[in-house]
Amino acid sequence: MSAEAGLTRVVHDVRELGLGESTSYEAGRLTVGEQSMLGLLRDPAFAEVRLGVASPGDSVRIVGVLDAIQPCSKGPGGGGVFPGLLGPAMPVGRGTTHVLRGAAVLAAGFLPRAQEAVIDMSGPAAPLSPLSNTHNLVIEWTPAENADWGDIDVALRKGLVRVAAHLAEAALDAEPDAIEEIADPATSTPNGKPRVGVILNLQTQGKFKDVFVYGRSMSGGLATVISPGELDDGAVVSGQFGHPALKNPTFLHQTHPVVAALRASDDLELAALILCPEPVDQANKELVSAHAARLCKSLKLDAVIATKEGGGNADADVSLKMDRLEEEGIMAVGILAEMAGRDGTGPPLVVPPTKATALVSTGNYDERMILPAVERALGRPRIALLDQDSTDEVELPVAAIYCAQSTLGWGRLTCAEPELAGA
Amino acid sequence: MKIVHYVNQFFAGMGGEDSAGTGPEMRDGATGPGRKLASLLGDEHEIIATALCGDDYAASHPDFAATLVTQAKERGAEMVLAGPAFTSGRYGMACARMAAAASEAGLPALASMHPENPGLGEAAGTAVVESGLTARQMKDSLERFATAALIVAKGEQLTAKDGRIGPVARVNRFAERNAAERAVALVLTRLQGDRQATEIPLPDFDQVTPAAPIENAADATFALVTEGGFVPFGNPDRLESARATKWVRYSLDGLDSADEGEFMSVHGGFSTVWANADPNRILPLDIARKLEQEGAIGRLHGEVLATTGNGTTVADARRFGMEWAADLRQQNIQAVILTAT
Repeated sequence: MSAEAGLTRVVHDVRELGLGESTSYEAGRLTVGEQSMLGLLRDPAFAEVRLGVASPGDSVRIVGVLDAIQPCSKGPGGGGVFPGLLGPAMPVGRGTTHVLRGAAVLAAGFLPRAQEAVIDMSGPAAPLSPLSNTHNLVIEWTPAENADWGDIDVALRKGLVRVAAHLAEAALDAEPDAIEEIADPATSTPNGKPRVGVILNLQTQGKFKDVFVYGRSMSGGLATVISPGELDDGAVVSGQFGHPALKNPTFLHQTHPVVAALRASDDLELAALILCPEPVDQANKELVSAHAARLCKSLKLDAVIATKEGGGNADADVSLKMDRLEEEGIMAVGILAEMAGRDGTGPPLVVPPTKATALVSTGNYDERMILPAVERALGRPRIALLDQDSTDEVELPVAAIYCAQSTLGWGRLTCAEPELAGA
Repeated sequence: MKIVHYVNQFFAGMGGEDSAGTGPEMRDGATGPGRKLASLLGDEHEIIATALCGDDYAASHPDFAATLVTQAKERGAEMVLAGPAFTSGRYGMACARMAAAASEAGLPALASMHPENPGLGEAAGTAVVESGLTARQMKDSLERFATAALIVAKGEQLTAKDGRIGPVARVNRFAERNAAERAVALVLTRLQGDRQATEIPLPDFDQVTPAAPIENAADATFALVTEGGFVPFGNPDRLESARATKWVRYSLDGLDSADEGEFMSVHGGFSTVWANADPNRILPLDIARKLEQEGAIGRLHGEVLATTGNGTTVADARRFGMEWAADLRQQNIQAVILTAT
């Protein structure tokens, strides 16, 4: 396959992470050069920035998690990844990309509108977050006096992508653990298998609840088609900090699980990736949904898998699209989280589809669980929601666990009536 | 078994709506429909006491159930039965709450109501058996209730075959594959012709019939209520910003406006910057007072009822709505403006 026809992903596994004098990657160990990282994160919005490390199995809780990013690079100098934020805002998704699989860069702390998201690196909540399974560089900060929260948000987003690109550069010359060739649906020959599209709804609810495509909000826009490989290169970066369990951080866009599952399918063809905004008003939800369904029709899709970001409001964005797709003769599957109340007896969806019925569940948002005490905490010293120390034993709904129910579908959590579950 | 049976003020013979504010109390022995129920349950069981409460009181004081269950246990109750409530919403909610509170306290419990009773969702997974539509079907309803109660008394599971109604709890668990892989598998299953396969059964939402329009706004008392997270500045009662489990009430007496620094919004679903700069835009107190002074509306109620509508469960939202409705009826309010965000 020529480089023009797709993306070559060069994978370097990270099995160990630590802070040190300079940044290096060797035999699965990623060492983060502390001073150079702090240099990359310097911004007038910060009085101070601190780095922490949390690895799978550690007795660590990360509180107030904002975004998380998988380190990736297309070459020295950071060009080509995270276009519109780090590189120029031009289409990506071709050529070669190095990724540090098993590592992530996280920001954790307070921002307005950010609901407190929790990651436990061990214990019963660990299987509920994809970031419990990665070696995490955690960025904490103290805002500069009188710093604007919006400026802090921008400084964090730009700092995170700089750090993520810089870390991956350390592995450019290392022997890869895997080399993966990824076809671009635009240039691959139709193979007669059913053509399946992926609708990726992006939240567009203003500052601190927005997602960036090539550095721009999709707010006010219509559906657009991009190559799935553009996700791998960081074309979609999250700035959405509500609904912890339902968050789709940049990390999950870069590793989009539905895209990955379709790429791996022997029976179906990944035919298109469609990005859609999630408008806040009903008329625009209906317009975007009807338009997206027409777009899928013009792409001659047989089926579509639709996902959302956000709470009950965003159910409508999936349900309306599923109904419009079915009207266009395209089979629609939605991935949604349930909001069935603490006892699991409430209606599971806020806005169900009226015509489409094929749904996959990422579990009940309201079910509660006990997280045992931990040795240390990163991000925030207290969980404001509970008025407890972050290291305490805490009782939280699944809703508070970072990405526990992300409808991008990384997780195995689901929900059923006990008889059906065989319990 | 020693049984405590719950009925409302009407079935306790205390009267209808005029007695709906009656607080919780216990009476010795069976009362009203409890007498027939006791005979149907046979000699092995005895209704030792009747727990009762007015429907409005029960709707606006959710702790009535825990109070009565505590008293029932003190009297040695081994099981709690509640109803039948037929299609009466507040009574159904009270019966469901009694059964749920008894379960919570470790007692076997069973409520009886019609499947369309809006209180059904309050049972929180505790068993509910189907009754008829109205008290005209009392005889059949009590027979079914007694049969089901005997099953529950034996410690057995009540099933749909026994007339069990209401939602069964859905429980989180781990699937074999991740959700993305299951979605891809579901696409294949559906493309191969299965038109039913799904992981989430679609919910039925109850339909609310709107009240008749008020005849003359100038004669009516209006209340302002909101789900906009409207609270006094500083949020003294710690109303939640998301997934609210409660609502709050604050006096509006003597206020012409909801001023910056006096009130605020704690809603977690939108930026509260503009709401906090002018809280009247969450609760239109300024305009409502003006309309009151102009005589366009009769009178403005002196209290706001508020909660946060953000990720709220349907069960909680339904409960807030029923509690608000009961509270506002008791205050003789004719019209309500609910500002939604």
